[in-house]
Amino acid sequence: MAEGSRNEPAMDARRFAALAQAYGGDLRRWPEAERMAGTVFAASDAGEAILRQAGTLDALLDSYRVDAPDKALHSSILQAAGRHLVQRRRQWFWWLGLGLAGIGLAGAVAGLALVTIVTPEVQPDHYVLDTDVTAFGDPGPDAENGEENL
Amino acid sequence: MAADPDEELVRRVGAGEPAAVQTLVARKLPRILALAVRMLGDAAEAEDVAQETFVRIWRHAASWRRGNARFDSWIHRVTLNLCYDRLRRRREWVTGDLPDVADPAPLPDAHSEEEAHRVERALQAIAPRQREAIVLVYYQEMSNIEAAATLQISVDALESLLARGRRSLQAILAEDGADE
Repeated sequence: MAEGSRNEPAMDARRFAALAQAYGGDLRRWPEAERMAGTVFAASDAGEAILRQAGTLDALLDSYRVDAPDKALHSSILQAAGRHLVQRRRQWFWWLGLGLAGIGLAGAVAGLALVTIVTPEVQPDHYVLDTDVTAFGDPGPDAENGEENL
Repeated sequence: MAADPDEELVRRVGAGEPAAVQTLVARKLPRILALAVRMLGDAAEAEDVAQETFVRIWRHAASWRRGNARFDSWIHRVTLNLCYDRLRRRREWVTGDLPDVADPAPLPDAHSEEEAHRVERALQAIAPRQREAIVLVYYQEMSNIEAAATLQISVDALESLLARGRRSLQAILAEDGADE
């Protein structure tokens, strides 16, 4: 029910009428902070008249009732909830699988990088020098001439 | 800020507990449906809105965090937005007056039945913002502070909407009564 917007303890006819016009004749709907002062004023002749007038519309509003939800609607909403839960679990497992695959991939890459860094480059046990190659790996300046001279 | 009575239940719904889902539907469906029926004046459309509201609840429950509004205020806002979408769509199609509601067959409680129809028609005839305010405070029994937060307006603005709405209803119902 209503809670307070104003805190003044006393109430005049004008404010009482304004509240009745807004919230109706049932003081339980009024702002909480003004309910007590409203109850006191309601005992007066003016208060009674204002509430009686507001109560006429309240009685009409009360006549408009809405049927409770039927079982079919209730079941349909629960079925939709069930479908949503299943879908969410599937999504969760999909993301979990993707996460695990990602972790696995990241591990493999990290392992490969570690092996590359830590392991020294493999050098051949012996190195056979070509006759055309110098100790620096290039054919010597007189390589062509050498062949021609042969 | 006072504790939100739905917070723990929503957390359990977000965690996927079937029992919590059932409790939430049992607790909120009547309120959501009643709000939509009174906003739209159409039971079938209101059921669609209620279903859509719950789809949004399931989608957001896991990530829902209480900000300035309670969970109940949040679902009221969601429902009202869905109602507004439908009211807008309706305006695009309907250019004339609201369709007449067929008179029900005479029943033992025909008088109260007719009275309810009059109120329903009158509610549909007033401005949607005024209707929202009256439905939230009068029928949904929200406090003025909760209703103002749901409508994202001040309490004074809410009081103004309520007073204007009730005056409009009184005028329509008085005219309606005089015609009969």
